[in-house]
Amino acid sequence: MFINWALQEINLKIVYYGPGMCGKTTNLEYIHSKLDPSLTGELVTLKTKEDRTIFFDFMQIEVGRIKGKKPKFNLYTVPGQVYYASSRKIILNGVDGIVFVADSQKDRMEGNIETLLDLENNLMAMGHSLETFPWVIQYNKRDLPNTESLDILQKKLNFFHVPHFESVAIKGTGVFDTLKSIINQVVQHVQRQL
Amino acid sequence: MVQVKKLKDGSRQIILTAKQFDEITKVLTELASKTKASTILLADISGQLITQRGNTDDINTAILSALAASDFAATSEMAKLVGEDAKFKLLFHEGEKRNVYLSNVGDNFFLVVVFDVSVTLGLVRIYTKKAIQNLLDVFETSEMGDDAGKIIDQDFSSMLGDMLDESFK
Repeated sequence: MFINWALQEINLKIVYYGPGMCGKTTNLEYIHSKLDPSLTGELVTLKTKEDRTIFFDFMQIEVGRIKGKKPKFNLYTVPGQVYYASSRKIILNGVDGIVFVADSQKDRMEGNIETLLDLENNLMAMGHSLETFPWVIQYNKRDLPNTESLDILQKKLNFFHVPHFESVAIKGTGVFDTLKSIINQVVQHVQRQL
Repeated sequence: MVQVKKLKDGSRQIILTAKQFDEITKVLTELASKTKASTILLADISGQLITQRGNTDDINTAILSALAASDFAATSEMAKLVGEDAKFKLLFHEGEKRNVYLSNVGDNFFLVVVFDVSVTLGLVRIYTKKAIQNLLDVFETSEMGDDAGKIIDQDFSSMLGDMLDESFK
């Protein structure tokens, strides 16, 4: 979090984390396409030729002034593919809240668990832990056949009982609910810390 | 001192007072005029833009600082991989029309200087080095700002919730 008293700005960094192809970039693309252009900047995506995120996606959202203060939300995604581990660590630098995007398909469960452990390791290296850090889970791709039941997803991934959302990011289902929830989590967390 | 607070859970909170902000702006204005840099940014290492000087109308500086922070962080990881104990302190990108010079300012901040290829790198290096020292002095001045608790109260969260509902229709 960065607070600038002169400009009355509060900057928060929110990172979308998850296994490869789970829909992190799709979340940002949907938000960018639906928000009023006056509230959001350009969406930057650093992709390979095959449309896979190589470093990160970034976009900034503003919602106007609240009690004279201007909150700005910086949204990032990480590259999901396993071998971009260092890049994921870099993007977590200074993070205030995390959206873990899980792929609901049955055969992706292992990838979800592996990435969640990778996240916990990276957070621990920065002195955080999933137990206390503000984060939410989004179970994406709920429209596909062969998805795991919500019950099993919850049991296997949501062991700290953080807020969770079912989504179909490509259609926008659950995308704004997730974003709103993580922003609330971060703000409440800041209050609790003081 | 710029307040860099470590919170209970280990997260970092940086708070800049209005006075510090003014002084930082002064340092950057001087750097811009001495180096004829087209754009200068000061950002924190997580990629959040603090302030900017020069011609920033045509550039999305929020994106520039996010990219520069990642560039910097990636280079630090590279330094580790090749067995360099200290972080690389500066980065230089040479273009056909513009050059970009990045340098860290203490552990928490960095400067981005964008300048025309007609300006010599040596000049930029000398004045940037001086500006960094001045910035570090500003960061050291002991003036405490209000903390985040004064801004982010119960009222604030509920109003923010309403605004998000409004924006995310």
